[in-house]
Amino acid sequence: MMLFGGETVAWVFRPPFRPELVLAQMAAIGVGSIFIVGTTGFFTGMVFALQVTYAMAQFGAEGYVGGSVALALARELAPVLTALMVIGRSGSAITTELGTMRVTEQIDAMETMAVNPVQYLAVPRFLAALAMFPALTMLFNTLGYMGGYLMGIFVSDIPPGPFIEHTRTMVETQDVTHGLFKSIIFGGVVAIITTYRGYAAKPAEGSRGVGEGTTRAVVMSSIAILVFDYVLTLGSVGK
Amino acid sequence: MIQIRDLHKSFGDHKVINGITLDVERGTTFVVLGGSGSGKTVLMKHVIGLLKPDSGTVFVDGIEIPRLEGPPLTEARRMFGMVFQGAALFDSMTVYENVAFPLRERQRGIATDELRRRVVEKLKVVDLDEDVLTRFPAELSGGMRKRVALARAVVHDPKVVLYDEPTTGLDPITTAYVDDMIISAKQRLGVTSMVISHDIASAFKVADKIAVLYDGHLAAQGTPEEVRRSDHPFVQRYLSLWFEKQ
Repeated sequence: MMLFGGETVAWVFRPPFRPELVLAQMAAIGVGSIFIVGTTGFFTGMVFALQVTYAMAQFGAEGYVGGSVALALARELAPVLTALMVIGRSGSAITTELGTMRVTEQIDAMETMAVNPVQYLAVPRFLAALAMFPALTMLFNTLGYMGGYLMGIFVSDIPPGPFIEHTRTMVETQDVTHGLFKSIIFGGVVAIITTYRGYAAKPAEGSRGVGEGTTRAVVMSSIAILVFDYVLTLGSVGK
Repeated sequence: MIQIRDLHKSFGDHKVINGITLDVERGTTFVVLGGSGSGKTVLMKHVIGLLKPDSGTVFVDGIEIPRLEGPPLTEARRMFGMVFQGAALFDSMTVYENVAFPLRERQRGIATDELRRRVVEKLKVVDLDEDVLTRFPAELSGGMRKRVALARAVVHDPKVVLYDEPTTGLDPITTAYVDDMIISAKQRLGVTSMVISHDIASAFKVADKIAVLYDGHLAAQGTPEEVRRSDHPFVQRYLSLWFEKQ
């Protein structure tokens, strides 16, 4: 898989470039995931605001709910939950599509037509994931904060002034960019794992092999996200 | 055109190809016959460089295929067209996009009109009309898929067309049609053809020369008549079972 990842990255810089395929994958991975990511973000923001309000109320510090929600979303919840949602929706689809192409000899056919399948199939998905994971993470941030605001203001009766003011003082630009940086790494990792699992499907195992490959891709990607999240967070905040 | 020299290939402990040597002359149709698991497809994949031999080599038009890697191998593959057993059409593309694919990749920037003209021309070679252009592979019959696969294989005017089990799973009428299609491709386009098959009737109909593969080596090779007269026990049994059936 490491070799496959290296080959994918190397082909990014070699012609022919295929912007039309990258755009198509951006639509499939990004636009196609807007509903699931937006919904997850909105509900996560609402639930997190209710939980934080419950905790803060014990110290009479409800005004800090907005800042806490925004900080948690920007640094942690948005990049990680966005990645997990996209793995379930688009990552599994990538593995299934490429696995089916391998089993039905479509990838072999591509090779016989003097087209490098890694360049044609993996690179557009890799680039699209690099671009769309941070975009979806920003969507998660925005809708999550909106959900938190609605709960804080209209359900928990927190005054809007402190809610927004503490958000402004607690959250800095680098908190948001830290989350977006994570999401770019997650996008690359997910794209390589899911394309590889499909690309490396064994024709002899048929549809069962494609199914198992998809399951493996989802499990491996999810675990990889959690491990990378830990490493990147440790690197960011230290001990 | 194609020279295979003392080719050996194993997967783990299983020896699949065991010292095969054969020649395919330019502009002829060469059929490799053999039972399931006899190594026919593995042999063909060596010709187009999808597999590397353990020892021995393959020359196509003077180019030693196993020595090639990366861009030179990609360049060498431009002289091939290949029809896969299951057609291997791209199921997310229409018939037009499938047939146009090799041309688009070889001649990036080709004019749309020229592309369409050549796609329609090659579809006519396999007796398909323009009304299939917008259909997806899932909307075609097995025979039509094979025909589209042949049109895609020859759209860039290759020197060599490889057929992997072209008649497997087809009814007798469609099988006869595919046989005619292979003969027609040779006569009208002048290509060299190598056919991998276990269909004896088709082999004797389309072949200029036949090789019978048994247990990883060639049990017989020559003209259809020479193979029919072979005294190799496997070939005699293999052919007599079929002739008895007729």
